[in-house]
Amino acid sequence: MYIYDTFDHTVTRERVAEFSQQVKRRLAGELSEDQFRPLRLMNGLYLQLHAYMLRVAIPYGTLSSVQVHKLADIARKYDRDYGHFTTRQNIQYNWIKLDQVPDLLAELASVEMHANQTSGNCIRNVTADQFAGVAGDEVEDPRIVSEIIRQWSTFHPEFSFLPRKFKIAVTGAPKDRAAIQFHDIGIQIVRNSAGEVGYAVYVGGGMGRTPVVAPLIRAFLPKAEILSYLEAILRVYNRYGRRDNIYKARIKILVRDLGPAEFTRQVEAEWPEIRPSGVNLPAAEEARIEAFFAPPAYEKIAEPVASFVEAKAKDRAFARWVSTNVHPHKIPGYGAVTISLKPIGGIPGDASSAQMHAIADLADTFSLSEVRVTHVQNLVLPNVKQSELFAVWQRLGEIGFADANIGLVTDIIACPGLDYCALANARSIPVAQQLSKRFADLDRQHNIGPLQIKISGCINACGHHHAGHIGILGVDKAGQEFYQITLGGAGDETASIGQLIGPGFAGEDIVGAVDKVVATYIAIRSSTSETFIDAYRRVGAAPFKESLYGRR
Amino acid sequence: MAQAKLESKILTANRLRDGETVYYTAAGAWSPYVTEARVASTPDDIDGLSKSGAAAYAANIVVDVNVIAVVPGRDAKPAHIREVIRASGPTVRADLNKPVVRPQR
Repeated sequence: MYIYDTFDHTVTRERVAEFSQQVKRRLAGELSEDQFRPLRLMNGLYLQLHAYMLRVAIPYGTLSSVQVHKLADIARKYDRDYGHFTTRQNIQYNWIKLDQVPDLLAELASVEMHANQTSGNCIRNVTADQFAGVAGDEVEDPRIVSEIIRQWSTFHPEFSFLPRKFKIAVTGAPKDRAAIQFHDIGIQIVRNSAGEVGYAVYVGGGMGRTPVVAPLIRAFLPKAEILSYLEAILRVYNRYGRRDNIYKARIKILVRDLGPAEFTRQVEAEWPEIRPSGVNLPAAEEARIEAFFAPPAYEKIAEPVASFVEAKAKDRAFARWVSTNVHPHKIPGYGAVTISLKPIGGIPGDASSAQMHAIADLADTFSLSEVRVTHVQNLVLPNVKQSELFAVWQRLGEIGFADANIGLVTDIIACPGLDYCALANARSIPVAQQLSKRFADLDRQHNIGPLQIKISGCINACGHHHAGHIGILGVDKAGQEFYQITLGGAGDETASIGQLIGPGFAGEDIVGAVDKVVATYIAIRSSTSETFIDAYRRVGAAPFKESLYGRR
Repeated sequence: MAQAKLESKILTANRLRDGETVYYTAAGAWSPYVTEARVASTPDDIDGLSKSGAAAYAANIVVDVNVIAVVPGRDAKPAHIREVIRASGPTVRADLNKPVVRPQR
């Protein structure tokens, strides 16, 4: 993992001191709310329905066990004993008191964490594949370039007041586990025909009220050029992005209006102006950062691991959990465990302080003290020996996080929705809970197979509904919560935007409607190996429309 | 021309210091319990609430000040689900729900 140097520590501490003074002045009435709001947002502090909410950055979703313990301590000390892991690999605390924020931030800084740039019109927390460094299919560890981008974008003076917020995601593998094409910039680490490692660059993706799958603007960018190229993209956006209309201010609108070819031309014209400026990282500095992500000291383990094979044979529930929740590791004898934060009937992404402490302990005992956050609101223990997977599974069972449902119908993304969020039009979490209970039967879940349901409580789409195989969007219809269904979205390397299937459903009817969609899929699939999304892409919306609304 | 039906209103905000949802009372204070909210039913009364809210905002006591509709009745009950949830807490965490009536000692 990256470890802060003196500069990182200094800027983090100075920002805490600065914001602490701003909070003090606000509480003393020396700053008005209009003056204070942009300052608190720059520090990740929102005002939601019930209290202030603090969004803490988890760069590229990587945490040490020490940091997880600290996040748990903060949940207990400053919040109501829990936190919420988000689709941007951050954690949010829902019950924060303004006068306690300075102390909280100081505690975060003590473990090299902060809430900087988790809000505001700046470059937000960089997200990445949760299996970075351990996935067998990756070209290179995406944490290295993510960390380089983190350092470059932190308090970048030119890009602190962009037309709108700006999100960058990185995948190191052809299999996209970071939804890169739904980001302002998506970076895929690739190898060219000469065997050199570089980046494919996608620009102008996004969700919200105008969902767009980002077009590719450069198929291969040499590694050393990444910062100058990003700077060229941001400079074109900063100059021409719409500041007159908040709904048209994201880079996706600029790329769409100019057309990808013209946008690319402008970036490529800007790029040579920037390259000589020295923004590209010197090779020695890149090597210094890369060294932080050197593989840990893995043991040499021969496969098959007899005890692991035996445990799977003896215990069907364990074998099933392995099949969904353990991802192949690039090192023989290891596995990467996804901890499902989606217990049946639970709140997606929520974890109590006790659960967080337990997970940190598991990381120390079994996973080289590392934890990852996924954009699907789960956690990962990236380095577990196969011989210890059974013990990990049992301990996860003790804290209620051993559900064998990763990638299945109950592994639902849900935004906080109207239960917490000041922007929401409808509740998301209760819908997720009801769906989870409806599909609780594990035999049924495994029979249905891979199926992603994603729920947003408003058009801002924090719940990624546009990218859901089944997307659910909550709307306010004359003061009542209604839910629209979209079908056919995907956030992976086959990215697509879900299509609205028809009129929405009342809160009491939405679960039944989703059940009908799933039943229709079961009825039409060509075989049990044809997944929901494959079947939908083969047959289209018609049979699903008919089952929901009848023949028209 | 038919006159539009006038809804009863209350004044709500979030307390600056801790962000808690609060309601403006008949005594001119801010209470966390919605049933203690002063209900205004005439245009002048509602205008008075708005002015009280603006003054409290300017005095840095509260933020996000809004006049909201309530269901007609003796106790103030918000009309919209958003405000029902603000008054009583997230519907998905019964353990964190806030009473709408001040608990008896």
